[in-house]
Amino acid sequence: MSLKGKLALVTGSGRGIGRATALKLASQGADIVVNFFRRREAAEQTAKDIESLGVKAELIRANVGDPAKINEMFDVIENRFGHLDILVNNAASGVGRTVMDIDVKAWDWTMGINARAPLLCAQRAAKLMKGRHGKIVNISSLGSLFVLPTYAVVGVSKAALEALTRYLAIELTPQDICVNAVAASAVETEALKFYIKEGLIKDNRQATPAGRMIAPDDVARVVAFLCSEEAFMIRGQTIIVDGGTSIAPFIAAKEAQ
Amino acid sequence: MSIEEQIKEIVAKIVHVDKNLMTKESTFKDIKADSLDMVQALVAVEDKFDIEILDEEAQKFQTFGDFVDYVEKRLAEKEKA
Ligand SMILES: NC(=O)c1ccc[n+]([C@@H]2O[C@H](COP(=O)([O-])OP(=O)(O)OC[C@H]3O[C@@H](n4cnc5c(N)ncnc54)[C@H](OP(=O)(O)O)[C@@H]3O)[C@@H](O)[C@H]2O)c1
Repeated sequence: MSLKGKLALVTGSGRGIGRATALKLASQGADIVVNFFRRREAAEQTAKDIESLGVKAELIRANVGDPAKINEMFDVIENRFGHLDILVNNAASGVGRTVMDIDVKAWDWTMGINARAPLLCAQRAAKLMKGRHGKIVNISSLGSLFVLPTYAVVGVSKAALEALTRYLAIELTPQDICVNAVAASAVETEALKFYIKEGLIKDNRQATPAGRMIAPDDVARVVAFLCSEEAFMIRGQTIIVDGGTSIAPFIAAKEAQ
Repeated sequence: MSIEEQIKEIVAKIVHVDKNLMTKESTFKDIKADSLDMVQALVAVEDKFDIEILDEEAQKFQTFGDFVDYVEKRLAEKEKA
């Protein structure tokens, strides 16, 4: 699979799954726009690592929760490159609260970044993808389907994102754009460390029927596949990457192995 | 209005606290600011003064005064540049 000559924007790609995805697409030849929010140093490192693969990296700071900042980011892309081939909506944030504690501020913040931003980015991206067989991949989580402690507002935002994925997939067919999502269960990133530390999820890192923890790269590989022409007939789907966990709720991981 | 006053106004509005109760010695715990309040305050101050407040630095802020001092430092640097 070669993405040579293509330009990909991966939101929140300074670290974690976004970084792994950016590096994967870069390793297949795509130039990358690295978007970040609070961690400039991490993003600079990612950009450096991308460039060492022999492709271009463009660093853009933008809080995707702010529609004006999304527009500024796309203005930069439009002026500098004039087109876009791939959009990965990866950036996400959230406030760990039980349903009774969710207030308007926590709801708006989370929905703004996790659900509204992917829509606004897709709208701008679609215009830059004209005649380029564009691909959009949204990063979701199993919290859209299953209940995790204090994950309500994020879970709801991811359910919205998956529904949005279906609408985009159909409504962007005239523009020849493929839209899909990838939903992961617990992936080894900083976000997971936080959840384990807070006692919100069990530290069962070996626990997947597939026999190991999910790595950011496992998600990145599926995203890369969805960005390839091989995946042309997959539309509006959410591909689950969880090592088999969600389909075997009554089997302890060790038994499954 | 001084920079301190302007930042105080922004933070007070986000955290829903009486700005007259805030001093440079107030900790974020004193004014009951949670992590979302903190990020929103940082972003609002960044937008207001057109500066970038590095997360690595923001994590070191213990008091409201630390926050104000850092913004003043960044603004002075910007002035020079
Ligand atoms: N980790 C898991 O277990 C897991 C499981 C399932 C799904 N996911 C999904 O995978 C994606 C990436 O997760 P992760 O674990 O890699 O996350 P992470 O380690 O928490 O990193 C979050 C990323 O999003 C960026 N970001 C956050 N708010 C942003 C904003 N307002 N504007 C722009 N960028 C923003 C961050 O940038 P800065 O660092 O620069 O602020 C960072 O790069 C998310 O959609 C998440 O929901 C994660």
